[in-house]
Amino acid sequence: MTSDTPTDHELLTAAAGGDAAAFEVFVVRHRGAVYRYVHSLTKNVTDAEDVLQQTFLAAWRAAADARVEHGARPFLFTIARHALHRLHRSHMLITEDAVSLEELGSRAGFAAPHVTAERLAQAVEERAILAAAIEDLPPLEREVLQMRDLDGLSGDQVAAALGIGLEAMKSRLHRARLRLIAEVRRRVPTEDCL
Amino acid sequence: MNTPQENGGLRCGEVLADLSAYCDGELSGSRRAAIEAHVRACPDCARFGGAFAATLRALREQLSAPADVPADVAARLAAALRRSRTG
Repeated sequence: MTSDTPTDHELLTAAAGGDAAAFEVFVVRHRGAVYRYVHSLTKNVTDAEDVLQQTFLAAWRAAADARVEHGARPFLFTIARHALHRLHRSHMLITEDAVSLEELGSRAGFAAPHVTAERLAQAVEERAILAAAIEDLPPLEREVLQMRDLDGLSGDQVAAALGIGLEAMKSRLHRARLRLIAEVRRRVPTEDCL
Repeated sequence: MNTPQENGGLRCGEVLADLSAYCDGELSGSRRAAIEAHVRACPDCARFGGAFAATLRALREQLSAPADVPADVAARLAAALRRSRTG
């Protein structure tokens, strides 16, 4: 390791050489994000923990071959996603719905004459409202929103982790964001004219 | 916006379709300028665009830092990793 804060690449290189302490640092760094990701999709603590363990066990075994020069989250999310597919095949195979972008926009208030950005902005400042709205997104949209907006992965990284093209990822992300606003809006009292 | 408007060479629906790309800085300079021209002339799109951007900001500010796993989950994960190394 070359600095006080080793990179993911340095930690996994050390782990590949059998350095369990380096891998422990790696685990502590990323276990929260992986757990949040899998829990948001399973909504089940037992399954989430199972997938969390599978993910880091697989990461330990694959440490020598991992390509994490730009951070380990895509690598870990890809492993976790495969584990989730094995565990919840039917759940994860839910297809994207056929609601048009215009309809999603309408639900989000795009065509509403009385939409008030200020009231919506207030609503999204309420962490509980925002978190609940995310929970109600379809799994595929929750997943892309979490990777891109919450974990800060690049578009290319998210597309790679999801196994889809960049344009398909962008489309899914945009729909997820619109649906999130619609879900927030649904939670705002109607007398606020949203 | 009940009647689609064309401002800056764009209709409201085109602005809606490009909001994420705009916020993510993925648009060309000319497309970005066209959207900004539309929004300056279209109060509805300006309001909705503001709400959209505010939502993204709130997401990143409020929820981007993941909490660590519960202590018992962390302990069982560590134990599973130890077993895999010694087993």
